[in-house]
Amino acid sequence: MNKEELIAKLKTIIAPYIQDEKAFKNLSEDTDFVKDLKINSANLVDIILDIEDEFNIRLENEDMEKMLDVKSAMSIVTSKLAD
Amino acid sequence: MVGNDIIDLNEASRASNWQRPRFLDKLFSEQEQAYINSAENAFKMVWRLWSMKEASYKLYTQIAPIRFYNPKAFQCTINKDLGTVKYKNFYCFVQSKITSNYIISEARLKKQKLNSEIIEFVSLGYSRQSDELKAKLIDSLGSKFRLEKNVFDVPILSNGKELFHVSLSHHGRYGSYVRA
Repeated sequence: MNKEELIAKLKTIIAPYIQDEKAFKNLSEDTDFVKDLKINSANLVDIILDIEDEFNIRLENEDMEKMLDVKSAMSIVTSKLAD
Repeated sequence: MVGNDIIDLNEASRASNWQRPRFLDKLFSEQEQAYINSAENAFKMVWRLWSMKEASYKLYTQIAPIRFYNPKAFQCTINKDLGTVKYKNFYCFVQSKITSNYIISEARLKKQKLNSEIIEFVSLGYSRQSDELKAKLIDSLGSKFRLEKNVFDVPILSNGKELFHVSLSHHGRYGSYVRA
């Protein structure tokens, strides 16, 4: 899976939880889940669970700690898939 | 310093499903899950504990300039309306109020009664509601005050001379603010 495919998959996962359409349209690696997309922090856990289901991986608390933007989500998924 | 968090119970039941597999394990310790399992209303207990963790995180980030997502590490104990939350060496008191429509929690370093103002939004849409909440806060203080956010997403009030800690929360059709 290349970078573009990974971003596309993540975009589908986070779509139901965003509260800022404009930031979502312009989504990039630097997009912040809370500051930019205004995702409620209660829904961050849903994104984490959806990522686990989609990629068939399990995230530990240490992985979750960094899950604040697209870039860190990508790096966590990539490293888990390589395990 | 103060951190607060409001939960719109309607929004919580619409936008989250606390019964989905692994949800509770990701967010709550064994002790907290025991509170949930023995609660008269498990749904309200889930969201009360969640709001305690959020309010405490907001207080913590006023002390430690950092951003992270580790709600499970903020460990709650509760006794009636008062709770305490522990994260590493950090320890705070959290007062909660639970109504049929919302739950509000307010975290402080010392025991103090709940001081958060609650707003039921008139406007629709997240960004308009967010503006409404900020306008209400400024109205309550006077127009010389400005609300800013630092890089860690921590809000701060300025009147041109001094800075004041403040906490804002927005969920569903409810908003809340409190000044330190």
